Order: sequence, then C-alpha cells, then structure tokens
Amino acid sequence: MPDEPDDIEVEERLRELIEQLDPVPEQLLAAALGSYTWRTVDSELALLVLDSVEEDQGALVRGREDVRLLSFETSGLTIDIQVSSGGQGRRIVGQLAPPGHATVQVRQGSSVTDLDADELGRFRAQLRDGPFSLKCSTGPEGTRSVVTDWITI
Amino acid sequence: MEQGEAASLVRAAAQGDEAAWRVLVEQFSSLVWAVARSFRLGTADASDVYQTAWLRLAEHLGRLQNPEQVGAWLATTARRESISVVRSRSRSTPMEDATLADLVPADEISPELAVLDAEQATVEADRAKQMWRAFRQLPARCQQLLRILMASRRPSYVDAAAALDVPVGSIGPTRARCLKQLRREMSKVSGTESRPLNKKRHLLGDERAGRA
Repeated sequence: MPDEPDDIEVEERLRELIEQLDPVPEQLLAAALGSYTWRTVDSELALLVLDSVEEDQGALVRGREDVRLLSFETSGLTIDIQVSSGGQGRRIVGQLAPPGHATVQVRQGSSVTDLDADELGRFRAQLRDGPFSLKCSTGPEGTRSVVTDWITI
Repeated sequence: MEQGEAASLVRAAAQGDEAAWRVLVEQFSSLVWAVARSFRLGTADASDVYQTAWLRLAEHLGRLQNPEQVGAWLATTARRESISVVRSRSRSTPMEDATLADLVPADEISPELAVLDAEQATVEADRAKQMWRAFRQLPARCQQLLRILMASRRPSYVDAAAALDVPVGSIGPTRARCLKQLRREMSKVSGTESRPLNKKRHLLGDERAGRA
C-alpha cells in the first residue's frame, strides 16, 4: 500500500513527539548494557516451562492471586518456585528435583545472595519486585551449575 | 539493521564481544521500551520488563535458533513479560508511576527548538498538545501499534508483528488506517486548520508557510 504524503508527515511528527515524551530512561539503557556482565558462560540454562500466570487464569478467580508457580527445567533437573507476596517484596519457596543439597545463588538487581538448599532440595528467600534469576550448584562438589531464565516477579 | 548484520552481532556477543552487545542494545533498546509502554505499563513495571528482556537475551545469546531474528525475539519476550506483569501485579499502579496515557507535552517547547522565536515556540507546543490529544482519542489497538512503530529506531514490520503477535502482513494496512484516523482526530481537535504539518518548514522560515 503506497504511503500518502500526509501519513509520512504525521508519522514523522508523532515520532518526534513520542521521543520527547517517552524516551528510554537513561539509567535503563545503562542497565541493558550492564546486563551483559550477568551472562554465564559455563552454566546450563533452565528454561521456564510453566508459569501459573500464563497457564491458569482460573487461579485468579479462585482467589489464589497471591501465589504464582514457576517451573524451570533443564536435562535432569527441575526447579519449582512458589512466589507469594510477603513483607516489602516477594517470598519464594523453592524445590529442586531430584532433591538434594545445593547452593542457590539469588541474582537480583546488582546483588547476589547465596542460600543453601537442604537435603530435600528445599530453599526459601525474600526478594524484591523485579527481574530475578537463580544459579544453582548441584551434584558432587557442586560441579554442576544451572541458571534459570530471568523473569519479573 | 540487516538481518545478516543482526545475526553476526549476536554471534560476536555470544563469543564475548561486548562492543557487539552495545550495538544490539542501541539498536533495539527503543523497541523493547516501546513494547512495554504499548501495554500501558507504568514506568516501574515497564522498567522491569525492559530489564528482564535484556538479561534474558544475554543468557540466550549463544542459544538463539534464529539469531537474525533477534529483534523479533526481543519484541516477543517483552510482549510476554508485559502480559505476565499485567496479570500478576494486582497492586494498583502508584500515581507517580506514569503510564503512556499520563504523559503530557510540555507548555514550552524543548531546548533544541529554542532557535524558534517565542511566538512560533508557542504554536509548536500547542500543536504537540493537539497531536497528543488526538493520539489519545485513537482506539487502544491503534495507540499500541503506533507506539511500537514510533520507537526511535524504527522497527521492522517483522519485529512489530512479533511485538503484537499478529501476522506481518497486517502491520502495513493497520498502520495506514491508524495514521488516517490520527489525522482525522487532529483535524477535529484543531477545527478546520489546514496549516502545514511539517514543522521543518517553520524552522526553515519557509515563506509559503508564513503566508498561509
């Protein structure tokens, strides 16, 4: 469909207007550049395979809006996480399968926090709203490293 | 950006070339932001979506099946995260967390246009407000599409289609229809105005514009 000259003109003006009104905040651009340093080279990636927000809209109707279930998976390891509102941010309770001791590093904002998963593969943490990812070291001597996809909670 | 160029930047970044990452961010930053804003997210939520998309890409660099489609991948990721944020955040958006709908053009024109004399600056500011009012009158779907297409680095139709989860072929016709509607709304809010739209004519001091 050929453009009408007026369309091109009005589009150019609208683009200028929106650039003035709603630019990408500068600190966000810096954060995007910086996210490269979070890249892990030697870890396996556990992909998000289930998100109750996407899968189960009915849950909202049933009054369970405070709990969100996330499941990440890579070969031979599943990380299930239950997210609920708690205190100032979000409370997460995690479960590794197969169960077992592990070190779980919570990656959020510019900070990392190390936790231990118990012998049943359970762990809990307090998070803020925003993107987070977990890095789990499992197996003998913690030799296996797995990171989850980033996701906003 | 050519698809071949995008693919080689993704591969270079996956190999540890941080300069390639920078080019990718500069190219697609405004698209990712536009997608989040097009879902009417407030600044805080849009920021979370934006950051999540980039963090996720950093982790997926070496794993993308179609690295030449990295723009569409980012747009899709931003769309999904936006939808999930809309659904999962039951909290109301704080007043200070402005969505696209809350933005208002300034009374005074921006510094780069200060070369204009005062009278012209006021005219430009008024026209910006008129245009924004007209934009806000458009159907939600038009506002969403146009916000995405108005990313400062103009997105490809493939990337825009991924952002909206619609067929690529629908973008062009919808854009034309929405722009036409925008012009109609503008002529409503500005009465029967037939002044030239392009402010560059004003900037250049075009005499025809001056006489009109």
